[in-house]
Amino acid sequence: MKDAIRSTLSHLGQLVLLAAGSLASLVTAGLRLRSACSQVVSIGIGSQVVVIVTGAFTGAVFAAQAYYKFNELGLGSATGPVVSIAMCRELGPVLAALMVAGRMGAAMAAEIGTMRVTQQIDALRAFGVDPVDYLVVPRFLAILVSMPVLVAEAIWFGMIAAEVLTVEIFGVPAPWFREQLIAHTQASDVISGLLKGLVFGLLIVLISCHRGLHASDGAVGVGRATTRAVVDSSLAILVVNFFLSLVFNRWFPTSSIDL
Amino acid sequence: MTGDPDIPPFFEVSDLRQTLGGHEVLRGVSLVVPQGLTTVILGGSGAGKSVLLRHLNGLMKPQSGTVRVQGVDLGPLSENDLRPIRRRIGVLFQDGALFDSMSVGDNVAFPLREQGERDRGAIARRVDEVLTLVGLKGQEHKRPDTLSGGMRKRVSLARAMAARPDCLLYDEPTAGLDPILSENITRLIGDLKTEFHLTSVMVTHHLGAMRTVADQVIFLKDGVVRYAGSPGGLDRSADPAIREFLAADAMGIS
Repeated sequence: MKDAIRSTLSHLGQLVLLAAGSLASLVTAGLRLRSACSQVVSIGIGSQVVVIVTGAFTGAVFAAQAYYKFNELGLGSATGPVVSIAMCRELGPVLAALMVAGRMGAAMAAEIGTMRVTQQIDALRAFGVDPVDYLVVPRFLAILVSMPVLVAEAIWFGMIAAEVLTVEIFGVPAPWFREQLIAHTQASDVISGLLKGLVFGLLIVLISCHRGLHASDGAVGVGRATTRAVVDSSLAILVVNFFLSLVFNRWFPTSSIDL
Repeated sequence: MTGDPDIPPFFEVSDLRQTLGGHEVLRGVSLVVPQGLTTVILGGSGAGKSVLLRHLNGLMKPQSGTVRVQGVDLGPLSENDLRPIRRRIGVLFQDGALFDSMSVGDNVAFPLREQGERDRGAIARRVDEVLTLVGLKGQEHKRPDTLSGGMRKRVSLARAMAARPDCLLYDEPTAGLDPILSENITRLIGDLKTEFHLTSVMVTHHLGAMRTVADQVIFLKDGVVRYAGSPGGLDRSADPAIREFLAADAMGIS
C-alpha cells in the first residue's frame, strides 16, 4: 500500500515536473513551428472525422432520450436547450477529449516510447537537444490550437444532429426549436466547454508524452505505455471534468430554462 | 600509451560508481582518455562498458566519482549546461538510433540544424561529404527502415561526424553485424582515425576491432578496470579474466 502511494505520488511529481519543464521550454526555447504544424495536422485535422461523428451521434441520442421524456410532460420544446447545454458544458468537451485521448494519446505514447527504447531519445540528448523541447512542446502547441476547434465541432454537429432529429422526425417546429436553443445557450456555456477542452488537451499531451518518455522493456514496454497513456488520460479527463464542472458552474452559471 | 603529457586528457574518470536495479555496474572505475587517440573499452557482456560510455557525455550521472571532459566536471552540470559539451562529442549508438521519422539526409543534417546552421547549401554539401566518407553517397532520400544493419550504422556514423565533433564515442559499432560488415565498419573507423586524428572511445567485445583501431585499451570486468595500457600489453597480461577473454576469442566464442 505504501509503495503504491509512493509510486503514485512520484508519478504525479514527474507529471508536474514535465508540465513545468514544458512551460519553461515554451518561454525559453525557440518555437519549432514546422513540428508544431505537423502535429496540428496529425491531432487537429486527423481527428476531425472521429470527433464529428461522435458529436453528431451523441447529440442525436441525447436529443431522442430528452425528447421522449420531456414530451410526456408536454415539454418537448425543452429538448433544444437541454441538448445545447449538455453538449456545450459536458458532452462536447468530454467526448471530443476521450476520442483524442484514444487516437492521439496512444499515438504520442507509442511514438515517443519507441524513440525511447530505440535510443532515439538518447540520440537527441547526445546532440544537445532537449527531448521536452523537441517532442513535448510542439504537441502542447498543437493541442492548444486543435482542441478548442475539435470541441466546437463536436458541440456544433451534436446540436445540428439534435435539430435534424427533433424537427424532422419528432415534428417540433424548427423556429421554435432554434428560438429556445438560442435563448437558453449563453456564451458562458460555450466558453466553459472550450476551456474544458483546452485543459483536457493539455492533460492528454502531458500524460501520454510522460508515458512515452518513461517507456522501457522494448516492444512490451511500449505497448504498456500506450495502454496506460489512454487509460490514464481518459480517467484524468473524467475526474478533472467533475471538478471543472463544479468550478465552472460557480463562475459561469447556466441560465434558468423558462419555457 | 598515455598521449602527450603536455596536452590535458579529453576524458578523465575518477572512482566512478553506478548502481542499476540494485546491481553495482561500475565499481570505482578510473581512466584517462588522451586527446587525439583512440581508446577501446573492452570486456564481455555485462561488464559495464556501455554504462561507462554513457557517463562520458553526461547521458548518465555518476552515483559517485567524477567524469571530467577537458577538465570540466560533468557531475554538477544541468542538462542545459551539458548541451554545449555534448555537441562537441559525436555518438554512434549500438543500433544506430536513427530518427525513424526522417530520411537519411535529414538524420545526417540533424546535428547541423540543431547547432544553428541555416544555409541549406552548406548543409547539403556537408551531408554529401560525410555520406561519401561512409560510402553512402546518394542515399539521402532513403528511409532508415529500408536500410540494412550495416548501412544504419554507417548513417549513424555520418550523423555523428556531421557537426565536426572533437570526439567520437562508438557503442559496440560491430555488434549484430556479420563478419564482413563488421570488418568494413572497423576499417571505416580506422580510416577516420587516420584521417582526422579525433579523440575516440570505442566500446566493444571484438578483439579484432580493438586491434585495428586501439591506441589504448581498457579491459573491464564486472565493473572494475582490470587492464589499462597498450593493445600489445593486453596480450601479455597474466590476469586470469583477460587470459580467459583472449582464449575465448581465439576459440571464436567471445
